[in-house]
Amino acid sequence: MDQYLPIFLLLVLGGLFAGLSFVGSSLLAPRRKPTGPKVAPYECGIIPDKEPPQRFPVRFYLVAMIFIIFDIEVIFLYPWAVVFRQLRVFGIVEVLVFAAVVFVAFLYLVSNGALQWGPGRRLQPGVSARTSESTVSRITAEPPAPDQAA
Amino acid sequence: MLATTVIATPHIRYLAILPEIVLLGGGVVLLAVASLVRRQLRVRVGTLLTVAIAAGSLGVSLWQWADVTGRGGFTAIDHAVVVDGFSVLVNILVSCAVLLTALVADGYLLRERVGGAELQVLALVSASGAMIMGSANDLIVVFLGLEILSIALYVLAAFNSRREASGEAALKYFILGSFSSAVFVYGIALVYGATGSTNLAQIADFLSRNVLVHDGLLLAGLTLLLVGFSFKVAAVPFHMWTPDVYQGSPSPVTGFMAAVAKAGAFAAFLRVFLSSFGLLRADWRPVIYALAVVTLLVGAGLAVVQRDVKRMLAYSSINHAGFVLLGLQAATGRGASDALYYLFAYTFMVIGSFAVVSLIGRTGDVAHDLSTYRGLARRQPLLAVCFAVLLLAQAGAPFTTGLWAKLQVVLAAVDNGSVPLAVIAMASAALAAFFYLRLAVLMYSPAPASGGVLGEEEPGEQPVALTAGTVGPFRAGPAEQAMAEAQPQPVEELRAPAVRGARPVWAGTEQSVAVVDRLNAALLIDAETVTVDGETPASAAADQVGGDVERVEAPDPALVSKVPVPALSAVAIGLCVAVTVVFGFIPAPLVDFAHHATLLFVP
Repeated sequence: MDQYLPIFLLLVLGGLFAGLSFVGSSLLAPRRKPTGPKVAPYECGIIPDKEPPQRFPVRFYLVAMIFIIFDIEVIFLYPWAVVFRQLRVFGIVEVLVFAAVVFVAFLYLVSNGALQWGPGRRLQPGVSARTSESTVSRITAEPPAPDQAA
Repeated sequence: MLATTVIATPHIRYLAILPEIVLLGGGVVLLAVASLVRRQLRVRVGTLLTVAIAAGSLGVSLWQWADVTGRGGFTAIDHAVVVDGFSVLVNILVSCAVLLTALVADGYLLRERVGGAELQVLALVSASGAMIMGSANDLIVVFLGLEILSIALYVLAAFNSRREASGEAALKYFILGSFSSAVFVYGIALVYGATGSTNLAQIADFLSRNVLVHDGLLLAGLTLLLVGFSFKVAAVPFHMWTPDVYQGSPSPVTGFMAAVAKAGAFAAFLRVFLSSFGLLRADWRPVIYALAVVTLLVGAGLAVVQRDVKRMLAYSSINHAGFVLLGLQAATGRGASDALYYLFAYTFMVIGSFAVVSLIGRTGDVAHDLSTYRGLARRQPLLAVCFAVLLLAQAGAPFTTGLWAKLQVVLAAVDNGSVPLAVIAMASAALAAFFYLRLAVLMYSPAPASGGVLGEEEPGEQPVALTAGTVGPFRAGPAEQAMAEAQPQPVEELRAPAVRGARPVWAGTEQSVAVVDRLNAALLIDAETVTVDGETPASAAADQVGGDVERVEAPDPALVSKVPVPALSAVAIGLCVAVTVVFGFIPAPLVDFAHHATLLFVP
């Protein structure tokens, strides 16, 4: 059981830290309740009166994906680099196969426009855009109003 | 400092994992091709490549089968992978499932106007995971296969990103699935702690040579493994995700999920419990017994009250999982081969069923209410016949593979002294037959009245309002001309000539339709839209407006028109029906196949 003592101590320390943080914050924090503008989003003195006017692409998301892809590749490359002499040709071949698979994933992201900054093409041009033609035909396809039918 | 000694790497026999390599490598190549072409990859091209890859993997699997039957099974790659009849059968099953899914998905992707090859690539990767699960001889490899299978499925569930339910399904599946994976890994850790190995054969070896005085750790690990597997196969206490995920996922994906995920998980389930923990069967058989009982009853019972056909099929898949558990509960080679046969038969039945559901769902994949199936037989007789055959096969009707599958697992249970379990299974099959037959009868019952075309007929005649709505697509046909002349006749007589192709069973179903309608009204949660004895909401509305039937509010005429049937989907459905019926009439080849597969089992 002795070997578990450090883990237990760490657990106690963690609990103490969390508990003391709460106690300290309740002792030290100002007692006033925050005002309305204070808790509003974009706290910069101006109270927002409407939502952001349009959608904007979240490009950072795709950049983060690219980062994760290569991050994971590097994680696997490190241990291989340490023992690559002992693994000989077999290791190189396996790592090359792995790198090729990762590269295809990167290829896919790039072909989907992950590195095209700015207002580029849509990622998934599935929905056919609404045109005046389709809108007009949609309205006329509806059944006529009751008074007109009679 | 670094030693220059060579690290001993295991000899890798690539032929042993060739089906997996074909699927995975094919998926990677397909993704590269789709990324490198300048425009979006045409759906047809992706489908053709996927079919070619799946056919290649099927060919390799069949070659493996010949190899294995010739000189028996063997283990490879440092005993981490096993090639025996069991694993080859799973490979063949999964290859067939990918091939059929690619055909079904083609029509879906064209209809939803989604380009690219993502769906096919994910399906290929996921299928390779199922194959790995089937041929794993090590708990870690089982887990690897489980994750490859699941992670691709999480994305596939969210494939229809424009549908809110799809995202909900994916998130639910992802969170619950990761949780169950974590439980599974914990189980592996505990089993490793108790036996000192993760290799299935070595665990069995250890247990045969040692008697554990304190077997708490081992049993705890076994329980956690059981929970992980039960989640993946959707056995009852762990089934909560199934209806939501099956309903929210795109229909071709649902069929794939039901066939491949279940087959892969059950393959690993059977192998781990029969080969590694066979000696502990006295401990786990009662648990499987209880699981099977609740799975059978809850699956069949809850399917009865579903209005949504995809939810109904989801609960029915839970019921099917109960039947496969019957084979596992028998804990014999016979039971394992019966379970494999069941999975094989179920694959074709469920992919075919969801192919039809996908067609009926129309653009957006949303029309899955029971009422949309009403009158399908009159609109599209061939489609209705195929769907009816697949449903009856799932119910276990004679002359289909479904009967032999159910019969064999029940017999395996009886042989092993679990007679009450067999009785419960048959009772649940009877209960399940009700909702399959209800759907079948609904397809062969007259469609609801639709006001869209009534202006063409003579207005003011109420009887026409009950029958004429369905004849819209071919209203210029001579039969309708004749019918319009025969208008003064009462309703019951009018219905018969309205049936084109003069099905002799029609007259008999008239009463059963009424019975089913009443049952529908009594059982379904939302009984308002169900018609009783032809008193449709439309005819009620027609009463109010008097003779002016032009303004009768129809139950959305778009839902009672013909659905387009793409050629490739028709091929897939035809293949499923053919396998189901042909091997139902001549069961011997497939039964022998499953039997041989377990005879060649490498323990």
